[in-house]
Amino acid sequence: MRIVVAEDSVLFREGLVRLLTDLGHRVVAAVGDATSLLADVAETAPELAIVDIRMPPDHDSDGARAAVAIRDSAHAPGVVLLSQHIELRHCMELIGTPGFGYLLKDRVLHLNQFDEALRRVAAGGVALDPEVVQALVRSQQANALRGLTERENEVLELVAQGHSNTAIGAELGLSERTVETHMRSIFGKLGLLDDGATHRRVRAVVTYLESAGSARGT
Amino acid sequence: MAPLTSRVLTAAAIGITGAGLALAVVDRDGAAALTCLAAVFAVGCGLVLVRREPSSAVAPALAWSSAGASTVMLVEVLARSSYDPSPHPFAELARPIWVGIWPVNVAGVLVLLLVFPDGRLPGRRWAVLPGIFACGTVAMVATGWGAREVGDRVVGGPSGSWVTVVGVLGLLAIGSSLVLAVASVVLRYRSGDAVRREQIRWLMLAAVLTVTCLLAGWVALAVGAPLPMAFTPFLVGVVVLLPAAVGVAIVRHDLFDVDRVLSATAAWVLTLIGSSAVFAAVVLVTGRMVGESTGLAPTTAAFITALTLLPLQRYLAIATGRLVDHDRFVAVAEVERFAADVQAGERTPEEVEEVLRLAQRDPGLRLVLARPDGTWVDIRGCEVDPPAAIAVRAHGAVIARIELGRDSARARRRIAELARAGWVPIEVSRLRLELREALAEAEAGQVRLAEATAAERKRLERDLHDGVQPRLVATGMRLRSLQLRLGSTDSVEVDTAVDELEATIAELRRLAHGIRPSRLDDGLGAALASLRAQAPVPVQVRIGELPELDDLRALTAYFVASEGVANALKHANAARIEVYAQASDGRLVIEVRDDGIGGIPPLGLTGLRDRVQYLHGELQVTSPAGTGSIIRAVL
Repeated sequence: MRIVVAEDSVLFREGLVRLLTDLGHRVVAAVGDATSLLADVAETAPELAIVDIRMPPDHDSDGARAAVAIRDSAHAPGVVLLSQHIELRHCMELIGTPGFGYLLKDRVLHLNQFDEALRRVAAGGVALDPEVVQALVRSQQANALRGLTERENEVLELVAQGHSNTAIGAELGLSERTVETHMRSIFGKLGLLDDGATHRRVRAVVTYLESAGSARGT
Repeated sequence: MAPLTSRVLTAAAIGITGAGLALAVVDRDGAAALTCLAAVFAVGCGLVLVRREPSSAVAPALAWSSAGASTVMLVEVLARSSYDPSPHPFAELARPIWVGIWPVNVAGVLVLLLVFPDGRLPGRRWAVLPGIFACGTVAMVATGWGAREVGDRVVGGPSGSWVTVVGVLGLLAIGSSLVLAVASVVLRYRSGDAVRREQIRWLMLAAVLTVTCLLAGWVALAVGAPLPMAFTPFLVGVVVLLPAAVGVAIVRHDLFDVDRVLSATAAWVLTLIGSSAVFAAVVLVTGRMVGESTGLAPTTAAFITALTLLPLQRYLAIATGRLVDHDRFVAVAEVERFAADVQAGERTPEEVEEVLRLAQRDPGLRLVLARPDGTWVDIRGCEVDPPAAIAVRAHGAVIARIELGRDSARARRRIAELARAGWVPIEVSRLRLELREALAEAEAGQVRLAEATAAERKRLERDLHDGVQPRLVATGMRLRSLQLRLGSTDSVEVDTAVDELEATIAELRRLAHGIRPSRLDDGLGAALASLRAQAPVPVQVRIGELPELDDLRALTAYFVASEGVANALKHANAARIEVYAQASDGRLVIEVRDDGIGGIPPLGLTGLRDRVQYLHGELQVTSPAGTGSIIRAVL
């Protein structure tokens, strides 16, 4: 996979590049600020951009703003934002949309899950850190989700994190078929018509997060 | 009056005085020399005046007010010498008028009273007065024609019944013209403006003294004092005091505090007369009752007079003060009353500037207070430039300065007196201002400290998140890279190391959260919502419209909520917790309710209370035992 890395801490950047290389990816550009990031993404047309949320020039949410710009661009590669802690300003609109991931930096250390999340996002899927989902979801269980059972909520939370049915089954100790049954039930209760599995999944996640985010206060 | 006439008359006064002085020296006549010498002063004043205001009749009148005395002395010296073997020139001319010439002593004074201070008569009709006086003088000269003094006795002179008639008429003419001249001064005073009154007060002061001396002289004469001793003080009054007062009044009318001298003198003179009257009356009455031979009458009189003297003087001082110097009296009383009201707590000391303005009748008056650091502030506490103005002192230090809108020597004296009367309210308002400033400074210091703490917390949190944490993650990544190249046995070791690192990172994140929850970056609402995630019991968070919050307020609000929740979890045994945040009138209201056992002491949560008070907020704790608690903060 052709990847652009944007991270201002040299130590972290070098480590990440090395790790990605070890995982068999090709890092086409590694930069330290948001401006170079946008230029390099336009030039190298990567499949994925891994972006630190806090970067020069402003050391504020430059990474988040760059992520929005990249997703809005014509080529629109997948974007995974990395952050030290949960900070959702400027990227709220991206959360739950295809081709976007948000992970805490230490998730990098779980190589397999990290790699899987990268691939998912590059393929147009979703990858959200469990902590992000928690932060958004532990809000009031809003109207749209009121009809879901506890198990269905668990499944949906994992879906929101970007996991596949197989992974969810493994996580919850269920067979893949049972997970699929739960998914159908969820789609039904949320009123999502069948128009292709990926899209329905994404829309379920969006509904989930949006209703959950009604008290997110930003 | 034409400047030429004025000059000629003044010059004549100089000539007469000079001649008198010369002759007195030649004859070795000490009294005459002294009189003429003293007259030099008044004549000098006249000279100064005639140069300053050549067209004014005041200058010659002033010069003649004592040159008159010189004239009388000159005539006496000449007349005396005519009886000597070698008389002076013109001695024969002076000889017959020697005894009768005395009214000339006061001729200048009479004119002075009439024309002072603007050099004109008060009206046409007043021109008759000098005429009447001249007639009186002629009558005196006629009745004393050819007479001479031998020792203290007058010998020679005309005799016959007409002498008494003419003498009495002459005296009446002189007396009435003097009284009328004084009346003209009173009339002028009543119709004059402030400056005019001021100038006339000087004349009145000198006149009171002079007339007192004259009266004293008559009394002394009656009890048998020698003539020179009886009339010397009067002469000094006429020759020195009167001209001096008039000269000063015109050239610089408010050189000394004439008001107070005038009123005090008047009060003492009246007291003197009053107590003399009391004494005389008591002597008369007791004498009639117990017989005059015993010493009882004077003793009783002395006793009663002594008893009445002080109250009488006090009463007269106030009465004359009110009468003679009404403005000053009222102004000081106003300020004193204000000071008393302040002491009684009925008015605030800060009104002192307004009170001084009213009392001084000067709307442009400005009171400036001294601060301990040497700068100056107005009564409202705004810093101002130090004015070059009258200093108000207390305990030797300058506590305030007063700048006048209408400045004059008199106004300065007046305000100094008012400031003395009102120094307590001035000092109190200065101290109150200092206290307010010190309090504000202390509060500002607390807020600055709290802000600095908040900033420091943010920096620490950032350092942990952006400095330490990435390094740990980077180390973890190196380990993972290494792991990919290692065999499976070592791989387990690496897994353990990475797990350890992850635990460290989680711990670090928890630590940083305690210092300052990073979710505050996403706003207070997001941070409050995160409280839910940490609690084992349901926490309901309701967030309404929030006002604009700076970092310190957001952090404080968050701490109120998190401490409230922590308190409910730890002590209240609550099953349900509600957190509520809402803007109200531009302030933030944050409330934590629980359904626990209650019983938080009303002044508990001290740390929280301090945090809230640094921001001038309020913290209320309602926690009756058994029915849950409400912690409410308004920021």
